[in-house]
Amino acid sequence: MRKIGMGIMWRAWILLFAGVLCLCTGCSKSRMPEKKNSIRIGVSLYRGDDTFINNIRAELEKKAKEYEQESGIKVILDIQEAKGNQNTQNNQVERFISLGCDVLCINPVDRMAASAIIDKAMTAGIPVVFFNRQPVEEDMNRWDQLYYVGADAKESAVLQGSILVNLYRETPGALDFDGDGVVSYVLLEGETSHQDSLIRTEWSIQTLKDGGVPIEKIAGAIANWERSQASAIMEQWLDKYGDEMELVICNNDDMALGAIDALERVGGPKLNLVGIDATNPGLEAVQSGKMLGTVSSDKEKYAWAILQIAAAKARHQQINAEITLTDGKYYWCAQEIILKN
Amino acid sequence: MRKREKLLWILYAGFLVLLFLLSSTNLIIKEREQEIYRLSVIIEDSRDDNYVNFRKGMDQAAMEQNADVSFITLYEKDNRKQQMELILREEQDGAGALVVSPVDENEVIQAISGGRIQVPLVLLNTELTGGEIEAVISPDYYEMGKLLAKKVVERHDSTLPVYLFGEPQDNRTSGRFEAGIRSVLEAQGYRVTLFEHRNEQDYRRTIEELVYPGCRDAVIIALDPGSLSETAAILWDSSVYASYVKGLYGRGTTLSVLNDLDRGMIRGICVTDDFAAGYQSVQNAVNLMKNRRVQKQVNLESYYIEKEDLRRPEYEKMLYPIE
Repeated sequence: MRKIGMGIMWRAWILLFAGVLCLCTGCSKSRMPEKKNSIRIGVSLYRGDDTFINNIRAELEKKAKEYEQESGIKVILDIQEAKGNQNTQNNQVERFISLGCDVLCINPVDRMAASAIIDKAMTAGIPVVFFNRQPVEEDMNRWDQLYYVGADAKESAVLQGSILVNLYRETPGALDFDGDGVVSYVLLEGETSHQDSLIRTEWSIQTLKDGGVPIEKIAGAIANWERSQASAIMEQWLDKYGDEMELVICNNDDMALGAIDALERVGGPKLNLVGIDATNPGLEAVQSGKMLGTVSSDKEKYAWAILQIAAAKARHQQINAEITLTDGKYYWCAQEIILKN
Repeated sequence: MRKREKLLWILYAGFLVLLFLLSSTNLIIKEREQEIYRLSVIIEDSRDDNYVNFRKGMDQAAMEQNADVSFITLYEKDNRKQQMELILREEQDGAGALVVSPVDENEVIQAISGGRIQVPLVLLNTELTGGEIEAVISPDYYEMGKLLAKKVVERHDSTLPVYLFGEPQDNRTSGRFEAGIRSVLEAQGYRVTLFEHRNEQDYRRTIEELVYPGCRDAVIIALDPGSLSETAAILWDSSVYASYVKGLYGRGTTLSVLNDLDRGMIRGICVTDDFAAGYQSVQNAVNLMKNRRVQKQVNLESYYIEKEDLRRPEYEKMLYPIE
C-alpha cells in the first residue's frame, strides 16, 4: 500500500518536472506554419569578383523578381560576399539567422567546412541550399533539409575534352600546329580545395586520351580560378616554352581570359584555348575567335533551381515538380558546348 | 528511501530546473534586447550596377548601426508607378525608414505631403529640399557637369564638335549634368549636340558617321554611366572609330567604366564617393528612426579623374573600397 503511494508521488513529481520543462522550452507554442506574404532568403557568395558567381547572382536577382511578380509573395534577397573567408561566411550565416531568414543559399568558401554552417542552420531549423561548391557527402547526409545545385563537373570536363577531340578528328593540324604528331598542352587549374577543379582536370584529359588525341603536358599550374593569376602564369610560360605550346586547357573561362591577356600583352604564338562556364566575357572571347570554345551550364536554369527550392522550403511547400532531384537533394544543371557561330 | 534522501532528490531536481531556467530562458535573467532598425533602400533602376560601391557603404553602416536593410531594384527601370507601389509596400511591411532614389521627385514629395509616406525618408540623387524632406544625399550634378566641361575646354579647342550621348527619358540627374556641361561649353563657343539613345544602334551609327561620309573628329560626353560604357565598347571594337573620337568623357564609378578608363578608352570621368553616400544614407535613416537630428542636405563632392589618377591612394580607396 505504502509502496504504491510512493510510486504515484514520484510519477507526479516527474510529470511536474516535465511540465515545467515544456513550459520553459515553449513546446506549447508549436503552431501550424503561417501563411507567408514575404520570404527572406540569405545568400552568401564565396567571393563577389568571380565572374561565374556574379552571373549566377544577377540571374538569381532576376528570378526573385519574376517569382515575386508571379506569386505575389515578396522576396527579400539578402546577398553577402564572404571575400574568400570561411569565418566571414560563418558570421554572415549567423546574421542571416538572427535577421529571421526563412532559408539560406550558400556558395561555401570551403566545401570541407560546411558542417559549421549546417550546425547553425539545423539548430535554427532553417533549410540550406548549397550551390556551386558541393559539400562533402557526409555533411549533406546530416539533415533532410540540405540541398545542392550545381553543374556536374565530370560532364563539363567531358564536353570540354569533346571540343578538342572533334576538332582533332576533323583537322589534326588545327590542334597539332607543328605536325609532330603530338599536341603539347599547358593546364591552368582552379583551387585544389574545389571538387570541380580536380574532376574537370582529370576528365578533360581522359576524354582527350579516349578520343585518340596524342597529348603531351608541358606544364600545369594552379591559378585559383582567377584571371590575373592565370595571366601572370601564362606570361612565364610564354617566356619559358614559347612556340612549344599548342593548347591551353583551363578549368574555367576566367583563367582562359587571363591566358589571352598574357598572349595579347606579350604577343605570343597562335594557341588554342578552351574554358568552362560560358561567362559573358568568355562567350565574347569565343565569338571573337580568341577562345576555341567553352562549356555552358544553363545559368538561368541554375538560378531558377536555387530560387525554386529556396522559395518552396521558405513557404513550407513541395518543391516544384519540374526540378528533378537526385537522391532527393542534388540538382544538376544541363550543360552544352559553345563554339563560334 | 529515507525521507532525507527524498528531500535531497527533490532539491536536486529543483536545482536542475533553476539552472535550466537561468541558462536557456530569459524568465529569470532578462537579456537586453538589441533593437534592429528595419529600413528599405529603393532605387530608380532595375539593376544595381551603378550602386556597387554604394551598397558596400550601406552594408558597412548596417553592420555598425544594427540595421536590417533591404535593397530593392525596380522590375522596370525608371517606372515611377512601380517605385511608388514599392515605397508604399515597404512602409506597410514595417520598414521604419526609407532611402529612395526617386524616379519622379515631385510624386514622392506629394506622397509625403499627402500623408501617404509616414516613415522618415532619405532621398538620393535629387536637389529638392523643403520642409517635408528630412534628408537629401546627392552630388550637385550641375556643378559636376561644369567641372567636366572645364576639363574638356582645357584639352580640346572649340572647333571640335561636342556630342552628348544620353538616355531619352533620363532627364533627372542627366538633365542637370547636361545643363552644367552646356553652360560652360556653349559660353566658350563649342557646338554641342545631344544624341539620344532611342534604339540599340544609335551611338554606333553616330560614331560611324564621323568616319563615313563625314571624316571628321569629335569629342563625346556620355551623360550616364550606361551610355559611357556602351560608347567605350564601340570604340574598343574599332581602332578606326577611336581615331576620330578625340576624347570620350562621362561620369560613373561602375567597374566597366573604371576598366575602360584604365585601358585608355575613356579620357576622363567625374566621380563621387558612392561608398560614403551609401554609408551616410543608412546612418541618417537610422538616426531619423531614433528621432535624432541629421544634416538635411549632404552635397557629395565631385572629382575629375583620368587614367593616371586611378592608382592614387585617395582615389583608389574611394573607387575600390574594401569593407
